[in-house]
Amino acid sequence: MTKKFLPTPHETLRALHTPLGERTVYDSAAHCTRCGSCQQTCPSYIFKRQETFSPRGRNQAFRLVLEGKLNPQANKPLLEEILFSCTLCGRCTQTCAGKIPTAEHMLELRRRLQTKMLPGTLHALLSLRQKSPVWFGHTVRLGLLLRRAGLVKIGRTLKLTDLFGLGWINRADELLPRKITRLSRALAQHGCTAPEKPTLIYLPSLEAEFFLPELALSTLKAASKKHRVSVWRNTASGLFEYVYGDLRQSRLAVRRLIIRREREGSLPLLTDSIDVFTFLKRAPQLFAGNKHWEEKARRLAENLVFVTDFLSAPAKKTAPFPTPVRLDYSALFTREEAPFAAAEKILKTHFKKNFVECFYTDADTPAFGYGFVRNNLARAMGLQTVRAVAQTQTPTVFTLSGLAALELNRLFKRFYPNAKAAHVVNLHG
Amino acid sequence: MKIPPIALTRLRSVLGDENVLTDEASLLLHAYDCSLSRTRPDALANILREEDVSPVLQILSEYKSPFVPRAAATNHAGACAPLHGGVILNLTSLNKILQINTHEGFAVVQPGVITADLQNALRKLGFFYAPDPASERVCTLGGNLAQNASGARCMKYGGTLDHVLEADAVLPGGEKIHFSRSAAGPDFIGLLAGSEGTLGVITRLKVKILPLVKHVKTFLVTFPSLADSVQTVTDLTACGIIPRCVEAMDQTTLQTVEEFSHAGYPTDAQALLILELDGSPAQIARDAVRLEEICIRNHAQQFIPAKTEAERQKLWLGRRAAYAAIARIAPNVMVGDGTVPRAQLPLALKKVKQLLEEKNIRASLLFHAGDGNFHPHFIFDERNKPDVLRVKRALKEVLQICVDCGGTISGEHGVGVEKRAEMAYQYDKPTLDLFTHIKRAADPLNLANPLKIIPVNYDEKARTAEPLTPEEEELAQQIRARREANLPAGTAEQNKRPNTRAPEMFSTKELNQILDIDLTNYTATAQAGVTLDELHSALKEKNVFCALPAGESTLGGAFSSGGCSYFYAHVLGIKALLPDGSAVRYGGKLMKNAAGYNLTRLFAGAQGTLGIVTELTFKIFASKPDIPKTKTSPARSNALWCAIKKELDPEQLFPALPEEIHD
Repeated sequence: MTKKFLPTPHETLRALHTPLGERTVYDSAAHCTRCGSCQQTCPSYIFKRQETFSPRGRNQAFRLVLEGKLNPQANKPLLEEILFSCTLCGRCTQTCAGKIPTAEHMLELRRRLQTKMLPGTLHALLSLRQKSPVWFGHTVRLGLLLRRAGLVKIGRTLKLTDLFGLGWINRADELLPRKITRLSRALAQHGCTAPEKPTLIYLPSLEAEFFLPELALSTLKAASKKHRVSVWRNTASGLFEYVYGDLRQSRLAVRRLIIRREREGSLPLLTDSIDVFTFLKRAPQLFAGNKHWEEKARRLAENLVFVTDFLSAPAKKTAPFPTPVRLDYSALFTREEAPFAAAEKILKTHFKKNFVECFYTDADTPAFGYGFVRNNLARAMGLQTVRAVAQTQTPTVFTLSGLAALELNRLFKRFYPNAKAAHVVNLHG
Repeated sequence: MKIPPIALTRLRSVLGDENVLTDEASLLLHAYDCSLSRTRPDALANILREEDVSPVLQILSEYKSPFVPRAAATNHAGACAPLHGGVILNLTSLNKILQINTHEGFAVVQPGVITADLQNALRKLGFFYAPDPASERVCTLGGNLAQNASGARCMKYGGTLDHVLEADAVLPGGEKIHFSRSAAGPDFIGLLAGSEGTLGVITRLKVKILPLVKHVKTFLVTFPSLADSVQTVTDLTACGIIPRCVEAMDQTTLQTVEEFSHAGYPTDAQALLILELDGSPAQIARDAVRLEEICIRNHAQQFIPAKTEAERQKLWLGRRAAYAAIARIAPNVMVGDGTVPRAQLPLALKKVKQLLEEKNIRASLLFHAGDGNFHPHFIFDERNKPDVLRVKRALKEVLQICVDCGGTISGEHGVGVEKRAEMAYQYDKPTLDLFTHIKRAADPLNLANPLKIIPVNYDEKARTAEPLTPEEEELAQQIRARREANLPAGTAEQNKRPNTRAPEMFSTKELNQILDIDLTNYTATAQAGVTLDELHSALKEKNVFCALPAGESTLGGAFSSGGCSYFYAHVLGIKALLPDGSAVRYGGKLMKNAAGYNLTRLFAGAQGTLGIVTELTFKIFASKPDIPKTKTSPARSNALWCAIKKELDPEQLFPALPEEIHD
């Protein structure tokens, strides 16, 4: 085993908090009985039809690497391809009797192989949010300004954006709305000010902060019915670092959240992104072995709330969405967290028979920026979602993250213009 | 590297460079299935088109490279482990449903179609495919046939082999072959079922589909003992009620499952049955009343009918979650599979429980009570070598218990490599020799999934052959004598083609005993020379029926001549004399047997060309079964029949194959 493959302990997790209890990473991988129940639920396996790119294959590859039976350096190209093919959606874990967290295994393998999943410039940009939020904000706003001035369009026409590893700009340009208002301006317009003695902290996701201010406003509106909400602007949750970057940075971000939350009265933390929610729910495993911080992270996870907690089925007349509707289960790591059940319940109560149940083979939109990792595979999976939506002629798809709504709308615009995706918080209009 | 580079180059020219892989990671990720076996192949070939299978096998045959057909690899027997290395043929891309014909009731599919995908496609049209393996969401139809898989509905509807009408396969040498149930002659689809890819590669299937059952009623019943629960199933059969599912659990499993799923199962019961009736509402209502009476008569503690669909789903919740409940306990679960005659189930389970206690092994017992098929789920850690050995040894002993109880080492999971050695517990040397001959006939170079099913060096380990009856012994001696004299042989009763008769024919008329009518298992055993009229009158005395017409022809004749093909599915066991005079035995009072090649189907309709049937065990019924009017085309020999005939009867002393007759 090469030295490179033996990361220092702080670069990997000491234990995983699985649905069936805490396990060491190796224990967790060894729990797979190779029954194959996960195969047909994996969006990339359905597409590729090869064991190598199936959850069972991924777990076996990871285990072989841990046991030293597969040389990671000699097999790096294929192992990276295996990593690239996993969308971290957690559908395999949902089906698995032993609740094997394959997505977590893949993240561990990424860390051990030190694989960079995103284009270098995008990775550098997103890393900036944790390291220097102010500069990150300036850079994003500058980018949006240049886009508004038409420079991105010119760059795309002249194919300049394909140079210097900037191809992701084309995708981002397609993904983001044409007109983007600054969140601070939107908050001011709606008279949202920092309340005295807040009872809830709202941590806007990256997309709500910079690209979908209406998502942040809707979330605030929903939460304000019961709480005085304090907004933590431009604050990294550590999710990006957990999935794409350095585990130390992720720990640092979570630690900052914990400290700040405790300083401000240990209030419940609200998020609008299911990805952030599932990540922070798993925050204690970041600190496995450090009882002090593990306990603090556990308290943070326990005090986490999602927008669905403040939603109720709207009165019939106020629902502006054409029916039938369905729920997109796009999320990182799992589809079994409480927000899904809550969202389902709300939608079923309101739309009754007009709520379309998802079939187990229906794909979901790849979560959390997977489109920037493997655009072709993400597109193929996204098209499966579009096909399922078109087959049931569902004009409205609700999501639990703004990013998933953006991804879906991009595909709908081109392949099924009858449908629109919206974050579930917009249910009230 | 065992496979020569030139062979790989030629494979790449057929399949494309990207579909023939030899890198370490790809090979290691195709080295396993759901069992503990793990062996590294030499290459991986992704088959994207049916028509590529034949040229690929021709190339492999030319270079004598072994191969293993592999689809979802969900079997528990190690059938997909490439023991001789060679090439893994990945068939998962052959996943198209080619035709669904609701008018004639069939679907044509490629072997990589997922069973649940077919069910979903059929459901939309108001139809269903009866076999329902527990892994139907991931297993493939080709794999189902190769392993002869079955599921909870097996008691009423039968396993995969009863639902395949036609099959296309490629023999190991690359020769394409088409098998059809409508053609007279041996039931080669039955032989292919459970052959685990050792006879060739299945490339297309035509399966039977049935109109969707609209009315289903589910019951949960608890009993104070396993014996009571099994007696209930027997009594149900006795009064002609065949539930579509009879699933059962013992108390240990019940408690584990309830703790996990909170399905509301009573944990103080010693045994639990989930019974499901289907049919017309009137019939269900009628059967439900009788079912309740029978359950109460057998000391049922609780009888809970599901009143709504939600309640029905709740009753199934625990059973469906059983594997998950067990899987969460320890790192690994080994699922065993044994079948005994239904009446022996309480005894077998008692012995198994004793064994587990003695060995201090944690295991749960789930079983399909209707078929006498049980699945011990052993809990262990595969990283702990002594633990693995202990569990493996215990499994061997469990299988020995099954065989001692007149059962089989596999009801539905197959043999593969995991239970290969245990085949010697079940079969005597002549029967294992016959398996070897069948394999050699289809695959003379031993390339198709080698070293599976048949135990290695079994001469001394094989079970001692049971003595023949005096009549059988005499017949065997006559066969040997004619063979030594190089004279043609055969029986008039089992070969109706006059021009193939030898001048001096044997007669099976001396074999005229009805040996057993078992009203617990609902099986009868009779010698081949018994006439159908005699059989019917004997059965009538006991108020039971069989699926054969009345007449003066013999039981062996009705089975071998090919005129009663619907009867094949009812035959559970066979005894036959081969052209060399040796006697083979297969099956018995078992509702399921997935151990070894299906010999009942090989001799069925073989017209005495491969041997003389001397004894049959078959299902009997409490009410007169419908005897369908089947139309069969004349028997035509095929490459596999010719090869087996050549292997078993090289001197061609027994009746010739159909196309060799010059009328």
